[in-house]
Order: sequence, then structure tokens, then C-alpha cells
Amino acid sequence: MPSELAEEHRMLADMVAKFVDRELMPLEKSVLAREAAGQKYGLTPEEEAPLLAKCRELGLWALDVPEELGGANLPTVALMAINEELGRTVVPFTFPPDSPNLHMLLAVASPEQREKYLKPYAEGRATSCIAISEPGAGGDPAGMTTRAVADGSDWVINGRKIWVSRVPQADFVIVMARTGDGKRHDGISAFIVERGTKGFIIEREIAMIGGRRTYELVFEDCRVPASQVLGQLGRGFAPMQLRLTVRRLQMGAWCLGIARRALEMLCEQARNRVTFGARLADRQAIQWWVAEAATQIHACRLMVMDAAAKHDAGVDVRTEASMIKVFATEMAGSVTDHAMQTFGAMGMTKELPLQLLAQQVRVMRVYEGPSEVHRMAIARRYLNDRK
Amino acid sequence: MKILVPVKRVVDYNVKVRVKTDGTGVETAGVKMSMNPFDEIAVEEAIRLKEKGIATEIVAVSLGVAQCAETLRTALAMGADRGILVETDVDLQPLAVAKLLAAIVAQEHPGLVILGKQAIDDDMSATGQMLAALLGWPQGTFASKVAIEGETISVTREVDGGLETVALKLPAIVTTDLRLNEPRYASLPNIMKARKKPIATMKPADLGVDPAPRLVVVSVAEPAKRKAGVKVGSVAELVAKLRTEAKVI
Ligand SMILES: Cc1cc2nc3c(=O)[nH]c(=O)nc-3n(C[C@H](O)[C@H](O)[C@H](O)COP(=O)(O)OP(=O)(O)OC[C@H]3O[C@@H](n4cnc5c(N)ncnc54)[C@H](O)[C@@H]3O)c2cc1C
Repeated sequence: MPSELAEEHRMLADMVAKFVDRELMPLEKSVLAREAAGQKYGLTPEEEAPLLAKCRELGLWALDVPEELGGANLPTVALMAINEELGRTVVPFTFPPDSPNLHMLLAVASPEQREKYLKPYAEGRATSCIAISEPGAGGDPAGMTTRAVADGSDWVINGRKIWVSRVPQADFVIVMARTGDGKRHDGISAFIVERGTKGFIIEREIAMIGGRRTYELVFEDCRVPASQVLGQLGRGFAPMQLRLTVRRLQMGAWCLGIARRALEMLCEQARNRVTFGARLADRQAIQWWVAEAATQIHACRLMVMDAAAKHDAGVDVRTEASMIKVFATEMAGSVTDHAMQTFGAMGMTKELPLQLLAQQVRVMRVYEGPSEVHRMAIARRYLNDRK
Repeated sequence: MKILVPVKRVVDYNVKVRVKTDGTGVETAGVKMSMNPFDEIAVEEAIRLKEKGIATEIVAVSLGVAQCAETLRTALAMGADRGILVETDVDLQPLAVAKLLAAIVAQEHPGLVILGKQAIDDDMSATGQMLAALLGWPQGTFASKVAIEGETISVTREVDGGLETVALKLPAIVTTDLRLNEPRYASLPNIMKARKKPIATMKPADLGVDPAPRLVVVSVAEPAKRKAGVKVGSVAELVAKLRTEAKVI
């Protein structure tokens, strides 16, 4: 945990660390066993209910929600320390609401939309998802072709979205679609589409590595009233990007937690396992993995906390967020891989959490922008710095 | 009734303790420090007595370096009302701590002092008893259950071979054992509230106590290393090893 945190945020991170150790870690074994048996990767309602009750009791709720909506409005630095702790376990649990859409809704929702969608969402009573990617446009979402056409006071949406997370439990989905003649970022609007709206079809579930599931969605003459337009018509792209910076810093924090856990397990195994008459811990090959992992974890934490502090101070940290997205996911990828290697065959089993952690890190190199796209963005920023 | 709860800053129970290379003590530089777990139990018990309407105020006290304020803040976040920090860089030994606490008791007039039965750093298990002796108060140590009825506190103690229950007249000293309760988490709202709770800072001299150590630590050493164990594949192999290698059966 970073030492420069304010005292109360350090205490909060300590509390979350205890929550993870005492409430989540004990569930890991059964979560892993179910996943290994081909069942759903997740908590059962019986496992989740007491956790949610405990979160309510401890105030671990709506952590990044503004105070006027009943949230704790924690600064980004505190959120990062908390997410690092959560990253240490494969038990899939986040403090409600899981808020990928929070910042977008906060920025542009109309008063009616705030009441109807944002409030229950911020209170953790509703969940949502966002559909941006399409079969033909993912890493470059400005190439999307889903279109909404005005018909009287309604909008009619047609198109196909893919790789959308959290669909089954979502009460509403934010759908990005073209409404104007504009090219690229121009002319893209956001729509709030409620579950069960006619013409909103969940086409199929797609099993992903890392125990995740995403969904392909079809919009077939899906008709919504004009009140479902989220934000300004034709200017949906920028607010959509709002969530991304914090999300990427958050991914950096998760990677820190994942790497810490993997390193801890690696060290434990290296201390105990004897081959050819010596402990693995006494072999330079293993020692270098440990040294490299510890160094990279330290560097990554400094990157995350620096960007978080700047973000809290109102500085644009888009470039830092890209750097973190690239560095953190690759760092955690190599640490989990070395941990798995240290465990030998045991590292290849589904009895240890390492394989799931590694797969989740692997997936993180693609979503929220592939590493190559982030590298391009970083390089452009530097190459275009001077005339 | 006011309850006084002394809380000690110690190396976190999850940290593997290392001896300083010069053998003068235990390494604390860059090491995570936390509240002594038995003191957490003491704070929890005090909070429960307050929730039952028996206690009216909980005062947490910590003695030592300036960073002990963090330990106090943790007690405040759990539910203590205010803190007292007796700040000193001197290595505090149990008798000095007991004298300082006795001086605070003389100022604060608590009806009950709840301490941890020992601190997990030096495991002395002496401060509570010394404080009782200095104050001339009854003591119930190693408590696994306490109940207050009027002017009497009954303390169930964990002793060799079972449980013993003693009835003490208040004011009294209680030291906590592991099974007394399970300390609560400090909730987020309470962590934020704790920021505004007062901590009074003083020096040992303000209490008229000379905290100088009376014991000299000659040297500190690691216990002998345990040899690495081996995993056996079957019960038969285990039995064979016990017979031929360990020669114990
Ligand atoms: C687990 C998971 C969850 C997801 N959840 C959602 C969701 O909820 N909602 C949603 O809308 N989308 C979601 N996505 C989609 C995700 O955002 C896209 O997959 C991602 O943006 C990449 O798009 P793509 O798959 O079309 O890959 P493409 O854009 O086709 O890119 C493929 C590869 O090409 C290379 N590449 C692309 N551009 C460049 C470049 N400029 N320079 C060099 N190389 C390049 C990269 O190596 C990249 O990995 C999710 C994806 C995953 C894996």
C-alpha cells in the first residue's frame, strides 16, 4: 500500500484488506472448484448476500459516487488503494455499484434520467452495461456503423454490438449509435435502452477466457422515445470516453493486486520446494523473477498513484492512463506467468487461482483498448509534441 | 462510567519479524505497524459496554513515538470517543507504561481499564498486572467474558485446566484474552468521523513520570532455523520414514 496516502485512506485500505482476507479469500476454493467443473464463474446468491449486507454495514458502497447522490465520493488515490486490495483474489466481487457508466451518466444525464437511471444505479439497486464495440469496430470504435434514425419523436436503432459485458443482469444498456452524417467521432449519440425493449435482442452468450462472458446484441428496429437520448445528439463520443481514464487507472490497481498475490505465492513455493538438493529460493533463476516482480510492482504503484493524484487535482492524465494500461497488464502478465512456472505442474492446475489471474490479466490487454492502440496513442503524443 | 483503553503500536501480526543485523532489537524500519490485536479486543469490549449503555465514554491511550497517533486513530475509528497520546522516543518497558497509565488514571478517573493481556511484540504480559498493583485496584486478567452488574464486574478467566470466574469491585483492571470477542471492522463513515475526534498529546514529564528503561536488552537473536520438511505421498511412506529415518516408532 502506498505510504503517501492520507491517514484515513490508509485505514480504509487496511479495512478493505481485512475484508478481502476474511470475507472473500475463504470463498476462493469453492469459486475455483465450480469454475473448474465448467459451471459459472461467480458467487452464488447465498455467498453474495451476506457480503453485500456486510458492505452496507461498513459503508463500502457507492465509493466513487458524489455525496449528493449518497456516495462516499472518495478521491481516486483512495479508490486505487482499495482496488489493489480487491485485485488479490479471484473471487469476483466489487463494491456496488459496479460503475463503468457512472461518470458518463453524471456528466450528461437529464434531470429525468438522473432520477430514473442514475439514482437507482448509484444506490446499487440497478445495474447497467455499455455497448460500443461492433464486429467491424472495436479497438477503433469511431468506425461503428450501428445507426439510429429519427421517426417522429422516436428514434429507431438498427445494428449489431458485440463483446458486451454484464448484459444478463443489466437493467439498461447504453448503446452508442450513429445519428448524423459526421465521420469518425462526429455524429455518434448515446441511447439508454431498457431491458425488454422490443427489438433489443440478446443474440448469444460468448464464453471468454478468464471465466468471463460477453454477449452479442442485435438491435432490430428498436424504437425508443427521444427522452432516451443520453446527452447531446451527435456528441456522445466524448462523454463515453470520460469513464475510460479512471477505468484504466483502476485496471492498473487490479494488476497490482494480482501481481502482489502471484509474487506472494511464488515466494512461498520457492521457500518450500527443494530440487536437486537446494531450495528454489536459492536459485538465481527464481531470485531474478522475484527481484523483477518486486521492482515492477513498485514502479507500477508509483505510476498508478501519481496518475491518481494528478487526476484528483484536475490534471488530464490520458497519456499516463495509457502508459499504465500497457505497463500494468504486461507486468502482471509476466509475474503471474513466473509464479505459475515456479509451481510446475501444480501451477498448471485449476486448483490454484494463478491460472485464472493470468487469464484475467491476458484479457485486460485487449479490453478498454488493446496495448498496441495505447502504445500508438502514447507515441503520437510524443511524436506530435514538436512541429 | 468512563473506560480507559491503552492501545499499543506493534509490528503487524502478518509481518515476519526480523532481528536487526546488529542484534540490538527487531527491525521496524519500513515494516507495517498495527494495533496490538489484544488491544483491538479491548477496544471492542469497551464499545460493546458503551452500546449496552453501561459505559458513557471511551478514552484510548497510546504511549510511544509520534506515529502512535495512527494507532489511536484506529481506536477512534472503531468507536472510541477521544485519544491521549503520551509521546516519547524512549524504549518503554512495562513498569514505565504502568506508571504513566496510573498517572492518566489519576487525571481521568475511569471506572474500568481494559488492556490486552499482552502485546505481541515482547509478549511481556505485565502491564495490566503492574497497573493494578500501582493503583491498588482488583484485576481480572486473561478475560474471555465480562459482565457488569452495578458496582461489580464478573470476569471469566482462561486458566490452565479451564475457566475461572472472579467478581471484582469497580474500579478494576481487565486484560483481554483472544476469545473475549471478535473486533469489528472500522466502517468507512466511522473512519471519516475519527478524523474529527480529539487527540490530546502530552509528554511523560507532564505526568511526572520518568520513563527511563530499567532493564537492559543484552542481545536479540533469531530462534534456530527449522529444517525444511518433506511431503510424503502416502501413509505407508510416512510410516516407513517415521520408522527408518526419524526412528520414533
Ligand atoms: C472481456 C471483454 C469485455 C469487453 N466488454 C465490452 C463491453 O462491455 N462493451 C463494449 O462495447 N466492448 C467490450 N469489449 C470489447 C473491447 O473493447 C474490444 O475488444 C477492444 O476494444 C478491441 O477491439 P476488437 O476486438 O475489435 O479488436 P481490433 O480493433 O480488431 O484489434 C485487434 C488487434 O489489432 C491490433 N491493433 C488494432 N489497432 C491497432 C493499431 N492502431 N496499431 C497497432 N495494432 C493495432 C491489436 O493488436 C489488437 O489487439 C470487451 C472485450 C473483452 C475481451
